[in-house]
Amino acid sequence: MKDFMGFTRRNLLIYFKDKLAILFSLLTSIIVFVLYLLFLKGTFVEAMKGTMRGLENIVNSGDIDMFVNGILLSGILGSALITVPYTCLQTIVKDREAGVDSDICATPLKRWKIILSYFASSSICSFIMTSLILTVGLVVLSFMGDIHLGIASLLSAYGLMLLGSVSSTALFMLILLFFKSTATSTAFFGILSAAAGFVIGAYIPLSQFSDGVRSFCNIFPASHITSLIRNILLSGIAEKIDSSICGLDNGAFIEAIKDTFSFNASAFGSNFSGIQSVIYVSIFALVCIAGMVIAYNRTYKRR
Amino acid sequence: MKIIEVKNLTKMYRKFKAVDGISFDVEEGEMFAFLGENGAGKSTTINMLTTILEKTEGEAYICGHALGKEDDEIRKVNGIVFQNSVLDKMLSVKDNLLTRGSYYGLSRKEVEKSLEPFSERFEMKDIWNRRYDKLSGGQRRRVDIMRALINNPKILFLDEPTTGLDPKSRKLVWDYIDFLRKEHGMTIFLTTHYMEETRDADRVVILDKGRIVSSGTPAELKSRYAHSKLIWYTPRSEKAEELAKQISETCVYDVDHYNISTDKNVTEFVFEHRDQITDYEYIKGSMDDVFLNLTGKELAS
Repeated sequence: MKDFMGFTRRNLLIYFKDKLAILFSLLTSIIVFVLYLLFLKGTFVEAMKGTMRGLENIVNSGDIDMFVNGILLSGILGSALITVPYTCLQTIVKDREAGVDSDICATPLKRWKIILSYFASSSICSFIMTSLILTVGLVVLSFMGDIHLGIASLLSAYGLMLLGSVSSTALFMLILLFFKSTATSTAFFGILSAAAGFVIGAYIPLSQFSDGVRSFCNIFPASHITSLIRNILLSGIAEKIDSSICGLDNGAFIEAIKDTFSFNASAFGSNFSGIQSVIYVSIFALVCIAGMVIAYNRTYKRR
Repeated sequence: MKIIEVKNLTKMYRKFKAVDGISFDVEEGEMFAFLGENGAGKSTTINMLTTILEKTEGEAYICGHALGKEDDEIRKVNGIVFQNSVLDKMLSVKDNLLTRGSYYGLSRKEVEKSLEPFSERFEMKDIWNRRYDKLSGGQRRRVDIMRALINNPKILFLDEPTTGLDPKSRKLVWDYIDFLRKEHGMTIFLTTHYMEETRDADRVVILDKGRIVSSGTPAELKSRYAHSKLIWYTPRSEKAEELAKQISETCVYDVDHYNISTDKNVTEFVFEHRDQITDYEYIKGSMDDVFLNLTGKELAS
């Protein structure tokens, strides 16, 4: 076990010692945040106000702000769930390119432990970074107002970060098999980080896209996790808004904004329930892990 | 005692034979050198013997452990210094060595203990906490060698360890290798394309296109495949040419001297004709000549 722990520690150190890599891995999240400050917040608030015609005097504008802030936080987390594990896993390509894998293969560390360690270290990195963002985000939000989040919801949110980290890592382990040089994997990262904000609906809610595009985006576990975390972070504030309306609209306003901001992942015209999303992401992760173990074992045996 | 036994070892990449049925033995404690130009199969052989690459055919035993069957045992007794540095640039020397030690199941204390006999000689104290990418080329190589010693190996494989180093760093690396060999009795398996580096080897194997073209001690190889030269500086004349041809018929005049190729001991002859042969030098056959005569190619010197 010492060998596995040691290699995992090495992979973690490589990510956390490289400040520039950390910055780049969070670049999409930073862009989402900057765009939010520049115009996204205004757009989202307008979209909400458009939905609540006739209720403007009843719904507290502070609650609307908190709601939109929560949307932002879910977007930042969703994009980090894509970019952080990918950046961390680029170590595999770098190791292959620099011949570090030969050094590792010349030690008694078993091949399967090497594969599993890359997977574990990236999942840990991603979980640490997203949990950190979640914690900081929640602290900031709590200073701005009541976030209406119970302990169970809080734990679920961290649980989702773990599930999201594991599933994204498993997917990217498979994708990175195709890259033989850091130049190509970095080029792919450029595309990935540009697309990440759209795929998880951070820039534009997925509800605004066609069904085909929505279905494609919801293939990725990070999109499901973003919807799920949105539900957890915003259910309290949504209930508060709904109760302030006192049933005047039979819950129509809340349902409308949940649809607008894609509180449920959807594919081919059907919505996933929360539990269905969790099951989908879990199965997706397990399939990728199985594929990863088979593919990487073959890669090492081919030597 | 034979520490490495190799029989008919072959590595094929599709139809290309990178290593073509080579056989050799290495005695415990000796310095064994693989000489050959790039692409001769030196690194491929080392990579097979260190279990990085799978062999296609043949047998090999490292410390009595069968290659391909007892690979984990082999990995425990091998240490390897790669051609290119394989340590993590962003990590400190300490972090690099401690993490590599853990791959062998060693704790921090065990790593420090196993490196203790070498630390002072390798001047590790000064660079222990420095980042690897901030070290000079020579310091990095020093750490690479320390990394290879982490598991107290019985055999140290060095794959072109001085390639790309400046002369001072090359000398330092050789001082360290001599220290490991003489003070710790370590078996050294070296690949190189620098002729002068095989000079101190106990045995040299010359590889060309994946095959062994010759082997022996440097002295044996030189006596078999290289000729010594007497360079006699004198103006060209019939009388001088006659005298030069008494030593060897293979004699040419070049600018200001006769270049006489010979395997004879010329000491007595030079002494007898000391009134005529006043300015001369005697050059023993070199490993360059051996390699050139065996493969028809010249190597880096």
